[in-house]
Formats: sequence, C-alpha cells, structure tokens
Amino acid sequence: MKKSPNKLESMGLTVNKRSTLKTLMSQWQLMLMSIPVLLYVLVFNYGPLFGWSYAFYDYNNGLGAKAKHPWIGWESFEFLFGRKGKDFIRSLRNTLGMSVINLVLGTVSAILLAILLNEVRNRKFKRTVQTVTYLPHFLSMVIVVSMAQNIFASDGPINQLLLGLGMAKEPIPFLSDGRYFWGMTGVINVWKEVGWNTIIYISAMTSIDPSLYEAAAIDGAGRFQRILHVTLPGIKSTFVILLIMNIGHLLEAGFEIQYLLGYGVVQDWSETIDVFSFRYAFKNDMYSVATASSMFKSVVGIILLVGANLIAKKLDEDTLL
Amino acid sequence: MMRKLLSVLLMLALVIALVPAAFADEALEPITLTVFRGDPGEAPAEDNKIYKLIEEKFGVKFDFEFLVGDLDEKLGLMISGEDYPDLFDGGNSADKIIQAGALINLLDYVNPEDTPRLWAHIEPQKARLIEKDEDGNDVLYIIPNYGLTDGPQIANEVGGPAFFIQKQVLAWAGYPQIHTLDEYFDVIEKFLEANPTNADGQPYTGFAILCEDWRHFCLINPVQHLMGRPNDGEVLIDVSTDDFHTETFIDKPYAKPYYQKLNEEYHKGLISADTFVMSYDQYIADLSNGTVLGMFDQAWDFGNATAALRTAGKDENTYVALGLIYDEDDVEGVLPEGWTIEEHYLNGSLPNVRRGFGISVNCECPERIVAMWEEMLSNEWQLIFNWGIEGEDYYVEDGRLLMTEEQYKQTQDQEWQKHNKARAFFESSPKKQGWILDGEYEGNCWEPGNQPEIVKGLMTEYDQKFLEAYGYSKFADFVNPPIELAPYGEAWQIDYTPVNVDHTEFLQIQDKRLPELIMCDPADFDAKWDAFVEEITPSATAFGDFMQQAVLEEVAKVLG
Repeated sequence: MKKSPNKLESMGLTVNKRSTLKTLMSQWQLMLMSIPVLLYVLVFNYGPLFGWSYAFYDYNNGLGAKAKHPWIGWESFEFLFGRKGKDFIRSLRNTLGMSVINLVLGTVSAILLAILLNEVRNRKFKRTVQTVTYLPHFLSMVIVVSMAQNIFASDGPINQLLLGLGMAKEPIPFLSDGRYFWGMTGVINVWKEVGWNTIIYISAMTSIDPSLYEAAAIDGAGRFQRILHVTLPGIKSTFVILLIMNIGHLLEAGFEIQYLLGYGVVQDWSETIDVFSFRYAFKNDMYSVATASSMFKSVVGIILLVGANLIAKKLDEDTLL
Repeated sequence: MMRKLLSVLLMLALVIALVPAAFADEALEPITLTVFRGDPGEAPAEDNKIYKLIEEKFGVKFDFEFLVGDLDEKLGLMISGEDYPDLFDGGNSADKIIQAGALINLLDYVNPEDTPRLWAHIEPQKARLIEKDEDGNDVLYIIPNYGLTDGPQIANEVGGPAFFIQKQVLAWAGYPQIHTLDEYFDVIEKFLEANPTNADGQPYTGFAILCEDWRHFCLINPVQHLMGRPNDGEVLIDVSTDDFHTETFIDKPYAKPYYQKLNEEYHKGLISADTFVMSYDQYIADLSNGTVLGMFDQAWDFGNATAALRTAGKDENTYVALGLIYDEDDVEGVLPEGWTIEEHYLNGSLPNVRRGFGISVNCECPERIVAMWEEMLSNEWQLIFNWGIEGEDYYVEDGRLLMTEEQYKQTQDQEWQKHNKARAFFESSPKKQGWILDGEYEGNCWEPGNQPEIVKGLMTEYDQKFLEAYGYSKFADFVNPPIELAPYGEAWQIDYTPVNVDHTEFLQIQDKRLPELIMCDPADFDAKWDAFVEEITPSATAFGDFMQQAVLEEVAKVLG
C-alpha cells in the first residue's frame, strides 16, 4: 500500500503516517466488528479446504468420514485427466464458454438498462420498470427453467413466432440440440438477473456529480455525448471492480440451469465442472474424483483472479488485491 | 360381516393373551416411521382408511418421502449424511445403499420360528434371495416387493416391456396383426396422417421415447426384445449355449437397424425432438392426455397414465402391448451365429430381487417392523391391502371375491386411492401375489385385477369389442405365452457396482449418442453409428465381460 501513489496526498490532503499497530489499536472498535466476518470466512471458506484431502484417499461414502480410507495419492487426478480427460476438458470448456457468455451478456445488458433507466425522468415509470425487471431474481431457478422449457419447446411460443414469421422452416430444437445450450443459458440468465445487476450500476450513476452533466450540457453535449463522456466514465471504476470479481467467479458458470436442463442428449454442451463434480460425488460415488475436479477448479479460479487483477493494475485502475 | 368381526375380535384376544405383559406397553407405544420411496409419488390423504387401520392395530404412522429428481444422486446425498429413513426403498439403485451399509440384515429377525409367514414367503426362492456378505454370512437386506407369487403364473396382460400402441390406432386400421417394426411404425404413420389431432384439436405424437434417469431403458433396451429375448437389461444372453453367452447388444451390428428406423421416423415427424428432454412427470401427463400413439416401455412404468385414461373413460387411448421382433430382412447377415429370432416378451415369474423396503441401520425398532410385516402377511391383512374393506370396496358371493363395476372403477381413480388405498406403503412391502392357496377364499386371486370374474366381467365394452375383433380372450394373447425362466433369472437384477465406472460410462455414452443418432441427418447416420460403436466399445466390453461372469455365478448359485 505504501508504495502506490497515495491518491489522497496527490489531492492535497494530509495523511497521518503511523505504524500499523498503532492504527489497529486506535481503530479497535472497527477491528472488533470485523471479527464475525473473519470467523465466517475461516469457518466456511478456509475450514472446508481440509476436505481437499478426500482427493487423495479412496473415499468410501458409506463408511463415513471417520473410517479409514486407503491412500491413493494422485490416482484421482490421473483418472480425471487420463481416462476422463476428454469429458473433463469438455466440461471445462463448457464452464468457460457459458461463463464468458454470461459475463458479457450480463454486463452489457445491465449497463444498457441502467443507462436507459438513468435517462428516464418520470420517477414512477422508472421505479416500475426497475421493480419489474428485478423481480425474476427472486424466483427459484427450478421455476425459471420449467418456464424456459415451455417457452423453448418445439411447439412453444418462440418456435411458433419463428415459424409464423417465416424465419424457420421447421421447429428449432433449442432444448435437445446442444449447440443452442450456451445461448439459451445466457438468455435465461439475462432475463433472471438483469434487473438485479442494474441496481449497482444505477447507484454508481447517482453518485456522479450533477455539475458534470451541467458543465457538459453548457459545452453543448447532447444526450448521447453526455452518456458517452460523463455517465460511462463515471461508472468505469465500478465496472472494473465488478469485472475482476466476476472473473474470479468465471468457473462458476452456474449449476442449476445446467443441472436441470442437462439431459443426456445435450450433455456434451451442458456439463459444467460443478455438475461434473456433483455427478461424480453423488451419482457415481467417486468422492475422490469429484474433489479432485473441484480442487482443479479452485486453482484455475485463483489464477484467473490474480491475472485479472494484474491486468487491472497495469491499466492503473482500482484493484481488489 | 358378523363373522368377520368375530374373527377380528378373536384374533385380538389371542394377540393380547400371547403378548407378555412386560412387552405390552412397548408394543402399543405409538410411533411414526419415516419412509423413503425411490420413485415419485404422492402422500396419502390424512383420513386414509387403511393407514387408520394400521395405526389402530399396530400403533404405527408413516411419514413418507418420495423421490424428486435423480435417484442415484438423492441416494448419494442420503448416504453422505447417513440420513436414512426407517423404511428405505432405494428403488432401482438399492445396491448402492446396501453397499454403503445402510440396511440391516433381515435374517437377524426373520426365521422359521419367530416369523413363520415371512419365512414361508421367501423360502421357495431362498437361493435367489439370500446372499453371502464379504465374511461369508447369509444376508437378506430386502424382501422383494413383487414376484413372490403363489400358484400357477397369471398372464392376463403384459406387465413388463413391450412396444405399446393406442387401441384406437389398431381399431382405425381394421385390427391388423402387427409383428415387425415396419408394420408398427407404418400403422402409426398412416393413422397420424389421417388424424393429426384428437377431437379436442391437440396434436398427436407418433412415438415417445422416455430418456429420463434410470427410465432410459425405453431408449436403450428394445434391441434385445427385437432379437427375441425377454428383459435381461443391457445384455443379450444366448440361453441355448452352455456358457450362457452374454454380450452387450447396443454396440453390435444387429442394434443398428432399430436406431436407423427411429432416425427415419424422426425425420418423418413421428418422434419429437422434445422427447429426449422430457421428464417422467411430463411423459405421464402426455400419456394420460391420450395424445401419445405409441412407445416402448414397461407397463408398470405408466400404470398411473393407464388408470387416468380409464377414469376419464378414454378406453380407446389406453394401450395394447405388442411383441415386435426384427424382420429377417432387417438383420440379414448381422445376427450372431446360430441365432434365430422368436418372439419372447413374457418370461417366467421371478422375485424382484433387492427391490422393495429394507430397514435402515438408523431404525430404532426393526423387530417391530418385522413383526408388523409378519402380521400383514396374514390373509386378513393381504385382503385389506389388495381388496379393501368387505362390503365397502368388494363383496363376497359363494366364496368368490367380487367387485361391482362401480367398485372396480373407483380402484383405478387416483383421487379415491389417496383416501382408500395404502399404496405408498404396500407397494414396497412384502406381499402375496398370484392365487390364494389357503383359508376361506382359496382359489381366488390376491389382486383384483387378476381375478377371472373381474378380468372378464368388468372389462369395458370397448375392450371386449377390441378383443373380439382379434378373436383373443385376453390382452396377453397379443404376445407369445411366457417361456421358462432362465436359471440366472433376469440379468438386469445383477448387482453391477463392482464395475460401476465402466457401467456408468457405458450408459452415459448411450444417453448422449443414441438421441443424436436418432436426430442426425440420415446421410450421416452410418458414420455416426461407427463413431458411436468405437466410443462405447471399451466400456461395453468391460461391462459385458463382467456380466458374463456374473451370469455364470448366478447360475451356479441357483442351481447349487
């Protein structure tokens, strides 16, 4: 922290330079308040890491955690990358593919909607739209997926629309042709989450100093130019932080949609690492393999996060780490 | 009625007299047993009269949980938390919970002295039912829910696998004889052409293929039947050979014509792409709606749909089971050496090994459950479960158990069942089937649906006319009579957990590729088929080799 250029100083403010310990002591109330969070992270995020040891044992589900399980070393990893290599790489590909689609579609749609809402002057209308768009966030994915199943069915509304408009000659098998799976996941996610994702951007927009808009208007900037030169730069730091956080979660493309819609016929395109792990743990009773695949996922996740952070630093933006 | 009451009273008196005083308090203490059923279902109504009787008599109430979603995954979750119900029906994956040590050995409680009825029930099939554990001890985890039948085999209708077709299709076509795939799809095609929608304007589906979870047998099993064998699961067994030659069939050249035919029908519009992403509930809903003209399935798998159609009076939409086999032209030059195709859909009856309720290690009162089952195997209780309450649900005339048309019809009504049948419990419990061999109702059938008077007398007019048109007396006449059960039983019952990895892979590849093959461009079919065979061969070979061994072991065990 010390080496990075101190923004407060550069802005002409004085900063007390005290030792870390003294700072901690003087802020003991804050420290006290952070203890529960620290405990939470220790118990729920670091504690379960001991479970990684399952990957190196031939874990027999039925015997329970206390029983003796034979040590197998790297065998699970060999199984994962050897015999199951093709499947595993495929699920990695699916995870990344769907993640990138979700990230791009999710971010773009949220920013677009936020800008549109920000430009609306009628408060009642704005509020209504906001509420309506974020309500689906509270629906269970099971409900959303069964709605999607009806909507995307061969005789569902979307196919009827396409047939009616003459845009398709025969019904498109959205649900049973794997090639449509990623796109469908993206659409479902946008529909469900767009309103929710908008909230944070709208709040970032409200913190933009109105005088900037006034100044821009005086300088002759039209609406589009104001969006381009005031609004977008104003939410840039929010955007970057969210992006970094999302990249850290890139390997969490989701579980529910892929699990609920992942029938055999589309499995080559639907199975994500999470679904893969789940299936190996509970369906095939191979805990070690499931743990190994989760471990691999975490490692890749950390690499992605650190990488994204480095890039952001290079771009001289606010960083997380 | 008086006699009945008297006998119940006498029985009660006897029980009270026999139960030692010290024991009495404990035995009557009301308990609630948690129950898991490995298939979807519905909890009974609060006021269900049979459960009320059980509560009065045994002081036992049930708290049911039914399967939602994938069976293996649900069981895996239960195992990992050792979160077992008292009565545990692991459905088709009971091997998994047995392996995990979730069930107690029933032989600790079941023996000729303490539980004569239960013992007599399992005794004839002892060789198949009682297994050896790792230490060489005799073990029995589950008393089969079905298949321990008394008396000569009853085959009024097909209860297992077959190609099914709506009766109205055959009636429309002038009651033709259908024996091959070509004839089958041809008649559906023509019907569909003439009647694209039903009277309500809902479109018909030509052929449905259920692929969900373990019910994917509708997709992967038909080939063995087309080859002329009853249900051996995923392998084809040549029982004429000394070594019971066993091989997986899906990767063999004789499997190809079936899927090629399906591919053809898919492009003709008989099969919808949505069929491969259909849940079981949706499937049953479609069947109950009467809009599915045909499918390969097992009759018990869509019993609820049949009942719903009957209740709605849509007899023409109910199904008849056909025993399709390959035409010689279909499989010219690809049959195994010396193989001749003869239709055998019906097999000799066999116990449903390792299917039904087991008692979990978490249960605090296994002896009480066993004692309850023992009592429930009495003629009185079996009558209550199967027929209901005399005077209300059935009547007796000259020693024959009978139902009025109205009484029989309501037994098919699922809403009525919720109040008047103990299905959720009874279906997975030990039960008597076949003929009643002793007592005052000797010579009757345990199940109302098998009772000759009911089969004949209460058959709907539509069904009677339908059978008359064919000159048959029962619906099982559409297929050949049952053959003798092979010594290994039916190979789908074999526990394949030792080759779990291969078997899972074997199934997964089929789940993925077979629908793709059915939907692919006909020009690509040959190439895709070859790729499929290449992909599946390693796991198929490993699984097939294991099954060959297992079949021989089973033969040795049963023949002694």
